[in-house]
Amino acid sequence: MKVSCSQEDLSKGLAIVGRAVATRAVMPITNNVLIATEGSQLKLAATNLEIAISCWIPATIEKEGTVTIPARLVTDFVNSLPSGRIDMSLSPRSKSVELRCARHEAHISGLDPADFPAIPKITDGLNVKIKPGDLRMAINQVVFAAASEESRPVLTGVHAEFEGEQLTLAAADGFRLAVHKVTLAKGVDTRTAIIIPARSLNELTRLISEQEEPVELTVNSQKSQVLFRMKNVEMVSQLIQGTFPNYSQLIPKSYTTRAILNLSEFLRATKSASIFARDGSGIVRLQIMPRDGKGKIAISARAEEIGDNLGEVDATVEGEEAKIAFNSKYLMDVLGVLNKDQVALETTTSSSPGVIRPVTDESYVHVVMPMFVQW
Amino acid sequence: MARRILHIDLDAFFVSVEQVLDPALRGKPVVVGGDPRGRGVVACASYEARAYGLKSGMPLGKAHRLCPHAIFLGGNFHRYSDASERFMAILGEFTPDIEPLGLEEAYLDLTGFESIYGPAKETALRIKQRIKDELGITASVGIASSKVVAKVASGLSKPDGLIEVPPGQERAFLAPLPVDKLPGVGAKGEMALKKMGVKTIGGLSRLPLSFMKQTFGIWGEVLHRHAHGIDNSKVEAASGPPKSISRSTTFAQDTLDRAFLKAMLHYLSERVGAELRAQGRQTRCITLKLRYTDFETITRSHTLRQAADTDRAIYDVGCKLLDREIDHRAVLVRLIGIGVSNLVEGRQLNMFEPWAEGLEQLNQAIDRIRDKYGFTAIESGSTLPLREVFPTEDGRYLLKTPSLSR
Repeated sequence: MKVSCSQEDLSKGLAIVGRAVATRAVMPITNNVLIATEGSQLKLAATNLEIAISCWIPATIEKEGTVTIPARLVTDFVNSLPSGRIDMSLSPRSKSVELRCARHEAHISGLDPADFPAIPKITDGLNVKIKPGDLRMAINQVVFAAASEESRPVLTGVHAEFEGEQLTLAAADGFRLAVHKVTLAKGVDTRTAIIIPARSLNELTRLISEQEEPVELTVNSQKSQVLFRMKNVEMVSQLIQGTFPNYSQLIPKSYTTRAILNLSEFLRATKSASIFARDGSGIVRLQIMPRDGKGKIAISARAEEIGDNLGEVDATVEGEEAKIAFNSKYLMDVLGVLNKDQVALETTTSSSPGVIRPVTDESYVHVVMPMFVQW
Repeated sequence: MARRILHIDLDAFFVSVEQVLDPALRGKPVVVGGDPRGRGVVACASYEARAYGLKSGMPLGKAHRLCPHAIFLGGNFHRYSDASERFMAILGEFTPDIEPLGLEEAYLDLTGFESIYGPAKETALRIKQRIKDELGITASVGIASSKVVAKVASGLSKPDGLIEVPPGQERAFLAPLPVDKLPGVGAKGEMALKKMGVKTIGGLSRLPLSFMKQTFGIWGEVLHRHAHGIDNSKVEAASGPPKSISRSTTFAQDTLDRAFLKAMLHYLSERVGAELRAQGRQTRCITLKLRYTDFETITRSHTLRQAADTDRAIYDVGCKLLDREIDHRAVLVRLIGIGVSNLVEGRQLNMFEPWAEGLEQLNQAIDRIRDKYGFTAIESGSTLPLREVFPTEDGRYLLKTPSLSR
């Protein structure tokens, strides 16, 4: 192999695929990045066996070939170089890669590319397109509700259901449930549901931040892998097998109290209270008080032997006076990802789920389980 | 201005309470702690029994050998707890600055009250009289400018005495006393000091500070100050609710019977759970305690991901820890205990565990029934094996180590 490319392109490409490099590798070769000539481009690829990211950068190919070299080492070295042309060549005998840039030169020992795990190719199966902005928002508003611990593996994923022109993403860790509906740029004929690891979607949001074209999503026919194709970048993720809970029945159909309030005021009062809630179990108490159509919510927290805090937010309250306590983190998580001015909080009893939804936006709903406390 | 701190200690408290209820016990050697053939320790001995060398903490068997004609009582925590509440209530009428130490002792800060009540000594005498009139129990009092000197003074005045140490006389008062009269010296410390030829508190006060730190660690510095009669610590009630709740019991016979151990663990878990719920709190950490026949004592803890307050949650963890320990070391068990700590308020509800709410209500219903009719009024099958071993009274199991198993 003998190629040349720009330091900027290579640095950027390595940063993209670097997210998929294994950190605690069972297979040492997954610590490496695969560099291969492909047509007139250079393909960079890395995988931790759960996700694989490939990226193509412009290059001048003199002689075709493939190498795998330690990702961390080559990334750090390339980042340290001045911008300009990098020449890369492989010495077939030693399997060592020579990199030259200006007056810098390095030799990096590689491993046999034949041992590098195959990056799955997904061509058949369900295929849809989603606008990158819509997809990013949908993921942001849902993914944090997925479970971080592995006791129920399906809950560490995000349920994605494709039906007609609509994709519904849902995640739940038992303490909260987030559901977001997004319109597809290209829909499906048959209803299909998969569970995508939350970790994979977190990586995907990083990748699509610079995308303008719709993201193409392909699920293989066994529904075991999903491919996200973007401009010059592809990500393949394993899917989680199992049955996702039937979450629609967990969304309360009715409420006895509904308060509409300003999102940023609600978030600020919750943050203030959370400072005092830190020492306990993160409990913030909400008292919803109606008054002639108008009303307010009092948000308070107290820490044994330390102090307490009370904040009030004006609200349009419909229904009865209500008391409910939440973990401040769960409230801040959801309020932090909403982007509308007004939100509605709907409650029934202090031990039944609370619902938070942006006003005038039917596409999102969030259910938070309260904390059982002494009032 | 010198502080006026009062230390008050009820004399032979558990025994005195029993003697009030059964005057026939008065003037006799009486021991509260349980059956002398059993395995517990002396929780409290009357002064008549102490004359035979009986002490708190002594194994009952030894107590029986020293004083075979003593009357051994099982004891009843509820009686002592009631008497203690009345005792503390009397103290509360004299000053809000009370620091209770267990059931039968307390520090009071009377500084500045002289102008209202007269000299501290007169107040102390009035308090003693009120306790005698209302509880029928005598108390011993020490008055001094610091907590440690007041405590030494009350100990010296026992029974039914009063010693006041005038300001400035603290060191002179302590100096001739045996070193074991100083709180915190302990049997081991006393032995170590005796080896060095230190017999009195005065002798202890003459040891250089650096040497004290070397020998006793951080505590050495405190002991050094205390031996000089210096103690600036304030009288203050432990703030906030307790940090942990635990229940344990010593068996009449060491056992490795898993079913029996688990039945006892279930019982203790229910007692801990009831107290936890009565305080309206939840636990994040559950600890199993085992003492083996060779007196090796171990504790094993497990931290919960989510706080809990149900008997089930406490028992399940305890049971898992117990199984693991027995699998690991199959040695006869002498004592078993379970405790909860890292207590927090509030429990996160889970949408996938709708049954948790039902379990919660079940526990509350059982608590209400037991508050009224006693523990044995409603029992799970798990604790039934205890009926074959322990007698019941007033709806409660009578364990062998009653003072420890409230």
